[in-house]
Amino acid sequence: MNLSQLHKQTFVVQNRTSECSNLARLLAAFIKSNDIPDEIYNDLRLVLEEAFVNIVDYAQPKDKNHSITVEFNNSADSISITFIYTGIAFNPLTDCDTNIETDDHCEGGMGIHIIKSLTDEQKYDRIKQHNVFTVTKHYTN
Amino acid sequence: MSLVITVTPEANNGKRVSIAGSLDSNTAPQLQQSINAEIDDSVSTTIIDFKDLDFLSSAGLRVIFKTKKVMDNNGGKFLLVNLQPQIKKVFEIIKALDGMDVFKDQDEMDDYLAAMQNKVKEGE
Repeated sequence: MNLSQLHKQTFVVQNRTSECSNLARLLAAFIKSNDIPDEIYNDLRLVLEEAFVNIVDYAQPKDKNHSITVEFNNSADSISITFIYTGIAFNPLTDCDTNIETDDHCEGGMGIHIIKSLTDEQKYDRIKQHNVFTVTKHYTN
Repeated sequence: MSLVITVTPEANNGKRVSIAGSLDSNTAPQLQQSINAEIDDSVSTTIIDFKDLDFLSSAGLRVIFKTKKVMDNNGGKFLLVNLQPQIKKVFEIIKALDGMDVFKDQDEMDDYLAAMQNKVKEGE
């Protein structure tokens, strides 16, 4: 790793799905600066979109502006994305029906199934008034 | 990151919907709108061509499933062609390829359509 590599970057965006494009660009730049393979980018871009859209759709009232903090973390053996957001206690891993076999499942269910399939760890915490949701992908897998 | 949709006529009242770019939460409504405008019960076959699609999320998948449902209800055919590896992977994750007619490329789909047309001719 060289000095230009960034191990951690933090961004604050609004609770609008239109922010997904900006986040994808920021993730691409982060991945490139850390010499992470493109295949990891493809998987994480999808994970980023699915998690962010679920949070925007279910955790916060859409008629009010909220901020969502998104952190990218790179370590020797893994990369993780953390979402920190206010609003109701919302664990995307359990507060949505993940049945993908039926047509009438919660719309976020399919997204969570994708997140679980493409990442190695998913962790949710409620810290004071904040939701903290982290997904991690190991490089060895 | 945008989506370009091109709808072209195919033989026997078929339509090909070619999608290029990113089919995600922001662009999925755009595809749904095109499908609603173009695909009705007069369309015998709908082909979704993924050749130039770089990114697909669950929001985009929902539009694909909904279109398949419309075609199934109308008794039409619904075909997927030219899925790039990263797109096919998304379908595979949610086990959505079972029950879908998927073709790796145009040649494979042409062979299928020719065989179907021969079957129809033989039955006439």
